[in-house]
Amino acid sequence: MTMIGPTHFLFLSAILFTLGVFGIFLNRRNVIVILMSIELILLSVTINMVAFSSLHGDLTGQVFSMFILTVAAAEAAIGLAILVAFFRNKSTIAIEDISTLKG
Amino acid sequence: MVTAGKRNWLPISKPTRPTGKERQQTMIESLFFYVLSGVLVLSALMVISAQNPVHAVLFLILAFFNAAGLFVLLGAEFLAMILVIVYVGAVAVLFLFVVMMLDINFAELRRGMGRYLPLSGLVGTVMLVEFFWIFSKWTSDTAAVAPHMRHAPLEVSNTHALGQVLYTHYAYIFQLSGLILLVAMIGAITLTLRHRPNVRRQEVSRQVDRHPKDVLRVEKINSGEGVS
Amino acid sequence: MAPQELLLNYLPIVVFLVIATGLACVMVLASFIAAKQKPDAEKLSAYECGFEPFGDARSKFDVRFYLVSILFIIFDLEIAFLFPWAVTLGSIGLYGFWSMMVFLGVLTIGFIYEWRKGALDWE
Repeated sequence: MTMIGPTHFLFLSAILFTLGVFGIFLNRRNVIVILMSIELILLSVTINMVAFSSLHGDLTGQVFSMFILTVAAAEAAIGLAILVAFFRNKSTIAIEDISTLKG
Repeated sequence: MVTAGKRNWLPISKPTRPTGKERQQTMIESLFFYVLSGVLVLSALMVISAQNPVHAVLFLILAFFNAAGLFVLLGAEFLAMILVIVYVGAVAVLFLFVVMMLDINFAELRRGMGRYLPLSGLVGTVMLVEFFWIFSKWTSDTAAVAPHMRHAPLEVSNTHALGQVLYTHYAYIFQLSGLILLVAMIGAITLTLRHRPNVRRQEVSRQVDRHPKDVLRVEKINSGEGVS
Repeated sequence: MAPQELLLNYLPIVVFLVIATGLACVMVLASFIAAKQKPDAEKLSAYECGFEPFGDARSKFDVRFYLVSILFIIFDLEIAFLFPWAVTLGSIGLYGFWSMMVFLGVLTIGFIYEWRKGALDWE
């Protein structure tokens, strides 16, 4: 059995990232699942950063992963708040109804 | 052969024949990696394809747990615990709240899901192939990045090592994340808070302010006369 | 700490997870195998005291619960940043101390804002 190296983690994060993008395409009407796919993409980036941090014995990756976590939590909070406010006005969250700003 | 504080897959200068015990440890480690990442990928797949959004959120929680396990495997203990606390404890609960709060016909939202399947399959495959192509060829020049690195002190725990750089070397970015949290807080309040009219609320200051002298009257009542 | 040593610390958690998962599987499987299964249409339909169940199991609830959980996330992250600070306070000096104080001050501004806006009151 081969040793688990950074390349393994990179492949894993590549698969996760692709799944996240795929999820946005697949559920393109449901904003909640799109937000969850974005969380998956952020998770894959975090895995990537921690893998490199561990490779170099360097803390920068882990520090920035904490900031990614902060941004992800804030993004989820604001995104879902917008969703709630939108639902209250329009009673729908289908993405094609969110087109008032379209030129 | 293992340098303390660093992973054992660091470029090792002279290859040594692994002893039986070391080989066993490597095997256990890779076993854990494959189990954790397998469950992670499967649950991520379920997140994007689940019929019921509540199930999607629960699979998201499973995915975060497995990612936390992988972080422990990489030696980032503190981040693993924060991932469990923040994501599983808070963000996933937030998603659950919203799924439960909005009264939506989710079956209707899934209509026309297959329409973009060919396009998304194409985009996903191209992306994955590109990623794999890059990642199978990459090399790391440790010497080139060395001047910019903040090496983890070898003798202290992961949390301690993080704390030593987070508040001093990365102070500005740390303050920036505080501001992001402030913006999130204010934004969430302004977006969702509505005061309903005609609601009688408890006003603690008025309650505390109320003095017996202003509202109470002690009267001496003679028997048979009553109060006027 | 060497990585192998570090991973060894997590052995009890792994043992715990394996036992918990195994126990859950055994319980579900045992009840599946041991119980008599004779399903019919009435048994499989949802039971709501004699009549057909109406509506979804999900019900709308107040947006204030959501607001409280958002504010919880924000302060959860604040606490997450406090942990390494508390551990290393002895070695990061005054600069690290005041760096955290500014961070806490910024979040306290937000706290005062939400207090004044009445986001913490229940109607």
